[in-house]
Amino acid sequence: MMQRPMCSLPLSPAVKVKLVSAGFQFTADLIHLNPDQLSGEAGLSREEAEDVLQAAGTGGPLSASVSALELLQKEEETRSIVTFCSLLDSVLGGGLPVGRTAEICGVPGVGKTQLCLQLAVDVQVPACFGGVGGQVIYIDTEGSFLLQRVVDVATAAVRHCSLLVEDDDQRAAMMTFTVEIILSNIFLVRSRDYVELLAELHLLPDFLSDHPGVRLLVIDSVAFPFRQIDNLSQRTRLLHSLAQQLAAMANTHNVAVVTTNHMTTRLRGGLSQLVPALGESWGHASSLRLLLQWSGSQRLATILKSPGHVETSVPYQINSDGFRDADQSEQPPSKRARTLPDQSAASQSDACC
Amino acid sequence: MVLLRGGMCPGLEEDLVRDLRAADVKTVEDLVSSDIEELAQRCSVSFKALFAIRRVLLAQHTAFPVSGADLYEELLSSTAILSTGNPSLDKLLDSGLYTGEITELSGGPGSGKSQVCFGASVHISFHLKQSVIYVDTTGGLTASRLLQMLQSETSNTEEQMEALQRIHVFHSFDVYSLLDCLYSLCSGGLQQASAGGGSAKAVIVDSVSAVISPLLGGKQNEGLSLMTQVAGVLKTLAKDFNAAVLVTNHVTRSSSGEVQPGLGASWSHVPRTRVLLERVEEAAAASCSSLRFATLIKSSRQPCLIKEELDLQWWSRSQVEHSGKRKLDETDP
Ligand SMILES: Nc1ncnc2c1ncn2[C@@H]1O[C@H](COP(=O)(O)OP(=O)(O)OP(=O)(O)O)[C@@H](O)[C@H]1O
Ligand SMILES: [Mg+2]
Repeated sequence: MMQRPMCSLPLSPAVKVKLVSAGFQFTADLIHLNPDQLSGEAGLSREEAEDVLQAAGTGGPLSASVSALELLQKEEETRSIVTFCSLLDSVLGGGLPVGRTAEICGVPGVGKTQLCLQLAVDVQVPACFGGVGGQVIYIDTEGSFLLQRVVDVATAAVRHCSLLVEDDDQRAAMMTFTVEIILSNIFLVRSRDYVELLAELHLLPDFLSDHPGVRLLVIDSVAFPFRQIDNLSQRTRLLHSLAQQLAAMANTHNVAVVTTNHMTTRLRGGLSQLVPALGESWGHASSLRLLLQWSGSQRLATILKSPGHVETSVPYQINSDGFRDADQSEQPPSKRARTLPDQSAASQSDACC
Repeated sequence: MVLLRGGMCPGLEEDLVRDLRAADVKTVEDLVSSDIEELAQRCSVSFKALFAIRRVLLAQHTAFPVSGADLYEELLSSTAILSTGNPSLDKLLDSGLYTGEITELSGGPGSGKSQVCFGASVHISFHLKQSVIYVDTTGGLTASRLLQMLQSETSNTEEQMEALQRIHVFHSFDVYSLLDCLYSLCSGGLQQASAGGGSAKAVIVDSVSAVISPLLGGKQNEGLSLMTQVAGVLKTLAKDFNAAVLVTNHVTRSSSGEVQPGLGASWSHVPRTRVLLERVEEAAAASCSSLRFATLIKSSRQPCLIKEELDLQWWSRSQVEHSGKRKLDETDP
């Protein structure tokens, strides 16, 4: 049988040194010890000894596994967060998946923040309307969360649902789906730099445990604070662990994690190309990657990668109600003038990095 | 000394333990070192059954002093090649994933690593009726995509469900929980996962780099030592438990745009076979976004740099080909 060495346990280096110098090399050496004996023999405090025994004795074989069949059942039970752009929802198989990570990339002003705000409202759509009925943590790193815009988007969503009311359930649900309640279900965090962002994320697992109703975490954007880090290798390492933190959070707390990213130009073979920022390896970070882009006068949402969907593009628009399907007819250029005031704020902060 | 007990491994029933005891075979060591053919006759049990029991016990108790020759024979008789179900990929891999070896897929975001892992899992589970261990370290595993792939194999929902049930999924988002999981597979998890005796033949880790990269570059030593441990357990799973291990890795790009598997030089010795996945260049890809190039960049069997075109849609192609000429996927006795 394979012996598991002490150094493979998540323990502090000091504790590991004490264990090994007291002759405990493998976890099997600890099998018959209780915390008092171990703390005596290895010169550890009682708490340390308890930690060691706990780390060494984690679950029996396969305790943590689920079959793909159980996963499928879970996937089928989990509702997605609708985007209110029915074309995008349908290519995504119902909307943005809860329990997974997704990234929205795009140039300034194309609508990343708009989609985030829309999702923050949409995730609250009551279950009897086919929604998720969840709360939101919204981490704003660019100062682009504009309350008035949320009020507009929420008002439109409430109006939309109230027109759909057919039965008493839905009538009752509308009592708690009001603009005021929607606002109160958004936990807004503003963080000014990557240190504040990382500190906040460190606290999030506890917050999520205390608020089991949260189904969406937005970070708008990851790019802004991280592009301030000059030391590239440090930045890459921090981003790698951020990616794992977010994936773990999405999975354990069953929340959709949505991050946004800027675009940057890359030169390859003499050709300059617009690609998502933060380096290629950050591209692995989220399982779903959406690109919002201009195509002439039209806006397109493109699935850049997804573990279950072919890469497709669909048109969308942003109007006073929020993120929506593009108009059926060819959009007259005048309608583009409806770009929203907060996007200038977003592009200002985009521009400074 | 471990005494033989009924139920200690599949096929070892109380009756058989009694018969073995009568033949003076009392411990695991006795059984492992005895002549199976003769013993089978004396206990009037089939050679094949006894052989299978011995193999499992060997795997569970590798520390027993067994002669090298026996082990080698054991290995030869049980090496299997698990087809991935995709002809171009199988061609690169010289028929498929070899048990006893670590195979690596590397590639950039969306290059199709996970798709290949999904497809191989589905094929091994559905066609070869073998259990698959799937360690997902990024949260990318999508069961509905597995189902989609299965639906192109069979329209029988019961068969689809059975195949999904044979895929055991672990979620490990950091290196310690990956190690927890891999060690637990070594100490019995592989057998437990297997439905019909023996042990699971395929272990997939998608991806190793996701949990290792956060540790590299900083406190160098700690990261490297943990990477070495991951490599060590994966090798044990491959060699001692005779599993086909499939891992995925990121890539790094030099300033001239050249692509290389990630995790550096010391990791490069870990996989026996390495395949690089890349998107077919943008212009051509516009029409068919699921086409990829697969290049063999390390192999002990085939000339390197063979390149094959791979269609990620292959596993979910709508045409079910029910031809009798599906090749024999496995050389297992
Ligand atoms: N149902 C499908 N049919 C055809 N192709 C698909 C399907 N689902 C996904 N794909 C293709 O597979 C791609 C995703 O590949 P995959 O998830 O394997 O990437 P990956 O190499 O694992 O990337 P990462 O390192 O980011 O995890 C999609 O972008 C799409 O091109
Ligand atoms: Mg993947």
